[in-house]
Amino acid sequence: MKNEMIRLENVSKIYTLGEIQVKALDNINLSICEQDYVSIMGPSGSGKTTLLDVMSTMMKPTFGKIFIEKKETTKMSNTELASFRGQKIGFIFQTFNLLPKLSALENVMVPMWVNNTTRSERITNAKNILESVGLGDKLQNRPNQMSGGQKQRVAIARALALNPNIIVADEPTGNLDSKSGKIVMDILNDLNKKDGKTLIIVTHDQSIGEKAKRKIVIKDGQILNGNTKVCQL
Amino acid sequence: MIYDLFNEAIKNLSRSGIKTYLTLLGIIIGIAAIVSLVSIGSGLGMAVEQQLDQLGGKTIFVIPGGFQNIRIKLNETDISNFESIRNVESVVPVYSTSAILEFNGEKINVSVNATDSGDKTLFENTGFFNVKEGRDFTRNESGSILLGSEIAENYFEKKIEIKKLVKINGKDFRVIGILKPLPQSFGGGPDPGNTVLMSLDAFKRISTNLNPTIIFINATDKESVPQVVDDIKDYSDKKYGDKSVNVLSSDNLLETINSLLDMITMFILSLAGISLIVGGIGIMNAMITSVLERTKEIGTLKALGASNNKILTLILIESALIGLIGGIIGILLGFGLAEVIAIIGTQSGFALIAVKSYEIIFGALAFSMIIGMVSGFYPASRAANLDPVEALRYE
Repeated sequence: MKNEMIRLENVSKIYTLGEIQVKALDNINLSICEQDYVSIMGPSGSGKTTLLDVMSTMMKPTFGKIFIEKKETTKMSNTELASFRGQKIGFIFQTFNLLPKLSALENVMVPMWVNNTTRSERITNAKNILESVGLGDKLQNRPNQMSGGQKQRVAIARALALNPNIIVADEPTGNLDSKSGKIVMDILNDLNKKDGKTLIIVTHDQSIGEKAKRKIVIKDGQILNGNTKVCQL
Repeated sequence: MIYDLFNEAIKNLSRSGIKTYLTLLGIIIGIAAIVSLVSIGSGLGMAVEQQLDQLGGKTIFVIPGGFQNIRIKLNETDISNFESIRNVESVVPVYSTSAILEFNGEKINVSVNATDSGDKTLFENTGFFNVKEGRDFTRNESGSILLGSEIAENYFEKKIEIKKLVKINGKDFRVIGILKPLPQSFGGGPDPGNTVLMSLDAFKRISTNLNPTIIFINATDKESVPQVVDDIKDYSDKKYGDKSVNVLSSDNLLETINSLLDMITMFILSLAGISLIVGGIGIMNAMITSVLERTKEIGTLKALGASNNKILTLILIESALIGLIGGIIGILLGFGLAEVIAIIGTQSGFALIAVKSYEIIFGALAFSMIIGMVSGFYPASRAANLDPVEALRYE
């Protein structure tokens, strides 16, 4: 049995829109083990992105506790959380969110800059990671000089900059053609299989969802299936 | 880490283009205005101080109040009474009148100043009169004059040379020397470039007005100046009525001039200050826009682990840098401007000096940086407190 990476205990997220309260997550209990490959699927508005945001510490739940590598993140201050997030979790977004005025190399250097890595180390690391995703020849290209697939590979490289154990990806192929999408998914699969990263993907795409080791379906803020797994505590 | 933040801030600024340059311009203009004003202002103060320093700080000026015919008339008795005041070393009355100077058939109105030639050395020591060409007069020279260089060179069609004969109020006089102009004249002192100087004996030939227009009184030392001033005041207030005679020490004069200068400087500085406030608002505006434009980037930075503090510091450094860069350029421009004003001023007869001191440089730098940071604080805290999820979704 694998060690537990992420645990959600009775987690609810309630949005207040004027006088209406919307329960985006409804009392969720979930355990994700290390080296897991989890896909989160569900119809629009089901709460899958909220689940990812809450799990990845980007958003605090209204109720409940979240543990990452046995540390309770719901107790941390914003500053602690920011640094914890930077080191433990790599983010991949549907819209890439690269800094538009920075080169590929500089974009990958950003998390290391945030983490106070020395400049020479930043350059060496960023180069190596970009080479590993097949962009060794695009170091100086800016986002607007790259295709969608290349941008997403830069984003993956950036997510790997601090060598986190967890990679979360929100619709990573949503803005890509099928060929680029396949390249990106191959890299992500390898990260799980070869490097042992815990991979959590939110997706609409059935074929991507099916490839995950574990499929979680969410509807109306509740997990419908795939919630039985127990990891070693 | 600070170096990195600086580096990043500089990069962000250099990428932001025209908006930053326009914002910089606001600060540059404000700082340049302030720096040039302070530079010229302290130069002016220094020049006045230097001139009064020449007086040695022991000289007291006694100037009868009133105008022309109703001017208080000090007389021989007053002068000898002044001489008998404790700690008075010497008393030098200066007699003045306006007279008609005639040369080559041209007639021009000039001011004439005279003093007893026996006391003249002391009069010269006050620094007002320096002979530029020719020679000085000696006692009893009733037919010689010294001519201000302005009068000699510019008043008449032909330049008046040394040894030429001129007529003053119809009497013949020989020009024996030309007076050097002072860079500027001040408080009660005659302007040597624009005056005719003669001995008292000569003066008696052209004027019957033997009441001094100003009396220079030298105290024995600097420390007794206040006592001498008080004694003269007591004497003249009793005899001629309160404040009918102005008694000024060079310190008084300096104070008066300085307070006047300070007032003018403060007034102009407050005008320049307004332009800096506008510049500061410019920075705030630019930074708010910049933060708004970069909302998504800031969200990304937060997702990548940047703390609120780091983002706050980054934006603050950016706005402080706008202030600082604006300050540096403003200082250079301000000094340049001050130098130009000084040159123009000197050419038109005012001894203006553009003072370039470390105080001005550091003061202006600190001031511009503080303006940058104060203006940047609101946008910076707005950026720092952005919710990462909302910031990432911002379009």
